[in-house]
Amino acid sequence: MNEAASQKQAGLWLSKTVVRLLLLLWTLIVLYPVFWTFVTSLKNNQQVMLGKPWDFPSVLHFENYADVWNRAHFGSYFMNSILVTAGSTILSLALASMTAYVLARYSFKGRGILYFIYVASMMIPTTLGLIPLFFLLSDMHLSNSLFGLTLVYSVGTIGILPLGIFFLVGFYKTLPKELEEAATIDGCSFSGIFFRIMLPLSSPGLVTVGIMNALTVWNEYIMATVLINDPVKYTIPVGIAVMQGEMQYRTEWGPLFAGLSISMIPVIVMYVIYQRQITGGLTAGALKG
Amino acid sequence: MIKPDKKPKGGYAARRKLFIASFLLPTFILFCIFTIYPLLRGLYLSFFDWSGGSETMNFIGVDNYKELINDEIIPKAIKNDYFLVFWKVILIMLFATFFAVSLTRLKLREHAFYRVVFFFPNIISVAVIGVLWSFIYNPHLGFLNAFLSLFTNKPVETNWLGDASLAMWSLLPPSVWAGIGFYMLLIIASILSIPSSIYEAASIDGAGQWKQFTKVTLPLIWEQFKTSVIHIVITTLNGSFIIVKLMTDGGPDNQTQVLGYYLYQMGFKQYHLSYGATIGVLILVLSIITTLILQRLLRRDPIEM
Repeated sequence: MNEAASQKQAGLWLSKTVVRLLLLLWTLIVLYPVFWTFVTSLKNNQQVMLGKPWDFPSVLHFENYADVWNRAHFGSYFMNSILVTAGSTILSLALASMTAYVLARYSFKGRGILYFIYVASMMIPTTLGLIPLFFLLSDMHLSNSLFGLTLVYSVGTIGILPLGIFFLVGFYKTLPKELEEAATIDGCSFSGIFFRIMLPLSSPGLVTVGIMNALTVWNEYIMATVLINDPVKYTIPVGIAVMQGEMQYRTEWGPLFAGLSISMIPVIVMYVIYQRQITGGLTAGALKG
Repeated sequence: MIKPDKKPKGGYAARRKLFIASFLLPTFILFCIFTIYPLLRGLYLSFFDWSGGSETMNFIGVDNYKELINDEIIPKAIKNDYFLVFWKVILIMLFATFFAVSLTRLKLREHAFYRVVFFFPNIISVAVIGVLWSFIYNPHLGFLNAFLSLFTNKPVETNWLGDASLAMWSLLPPSVWAGIGFYMLLIIASILSIPSSIYEAASIDGAGQWKQFTKVTLPLIWEQFKTSVIHIVITTLNGSFIIVKLMTDGGPDNQTQVLGYYLYQMGFKQYHLSYGATIGVLILVLSIITTLILQRLLRRDPIEM
């Protein structure tokens, strides 16, 4: 009996070790390309062409960053991305929280259908709406405009609005009702209850949704490339793709990788700070579905 | 719920109605304009011949669909879409489940670290992933060939993305690399919701790790498993064309063409807009059919806990 138990222990130890090795291998596969991006961003063309890809640069070419920031306009792409991300995160959060609060707390005719429409829209392929959306924005004179792009991100087909509504309805349902009832008795208006009591109470949920939305928008590529044609208004993902497309005419590996790094740095910082909200929010959203 | 009869007072019901409308309507109107309308308009356009502008829109019935059936690129694109769907489902679910089980059932002390790291590719922009992996695959300067050359006598110069027989396979690693973490987290959450008493009982009955996985874990996470598979299918049919656009441009010679990218090319490069919209309808129909089939295939009787 004892021998069997110790054999089992040894077996468990062995399988744990094998698993640990595989986990370490995957860690390497995940992290190395990112690390390699930062290393390559500090090389000049000669170092990229002649050396091995994994060589460390003997001289660090930090000027690649200045170069891509100024000459390749990543400075303005960065600002555009910040504007669009901040604008659409705030707008969609405001709209989603109001809708979610009413859907979670009030019963009225059509509530079920409204909720269903928002949730079902998340399942429909966005590519179907791509061409009409482009012409809708041209008709409204909003194509080639960062404001138009912000609107599309906030309430359009990329789906951060329904996801926010879906997540926040779940969140508002978990909040206690006593506070609202007390406030109603004290004569607080409907909107007063929302803005003064429920909105502050729901800030953890709002932070989670806000971060998820900000990440989605910061990284979004396809809408931005379809809706924006003016190089002055490119966001970072579009800027990167355009720069890669131009690589066949002039090679500048270091600056391209500096561009990739510039795109990733804010995301990495956000992930380090808000890791719990990001992973928690994404999985909570999908689990309830 | 706050019931209307809770606090009877003059105009209460009216104020309540006004409040609900003022909170819901602006959002819903914007949502209808920018989400619902484009989708319906896409369906509508597929019955017209239109290449932009307002005068030249002619109703042509199902002619776009006839063109779709006779287009040689369409079957190729469908085949490639399902190649990606098939391998992404298999590989992502295999890795994600393995990691999820390892990080929950083996009680490793460092499990939190791996969770954080493995999810990381999911938060990088697909534009960055496409460009980064294009460079990994670069025949002369890329990491992959340089690495393989360490094990051979003469330098490896495989053109991963330019060779018709390799290009589709080469699109898989970045897609899988970028996808695993998210599904791993979903499965982890699902496993953690299983009461530990069930595992204790199984363990007392002498079930080893493998048996615990097949008899306890898998049946109890099955719903999540199914949802994840369907989610991969839908996102792949919809979104895989971004990686195609950035890494192979559909080439060589349409060998890596997928429906989404063909739609993009038809719509925004050749201004064959109504035909592009028709391809959009095809993607919608394929997504629905595939989802329904998978719902059936993966159905298991629900388990009461």
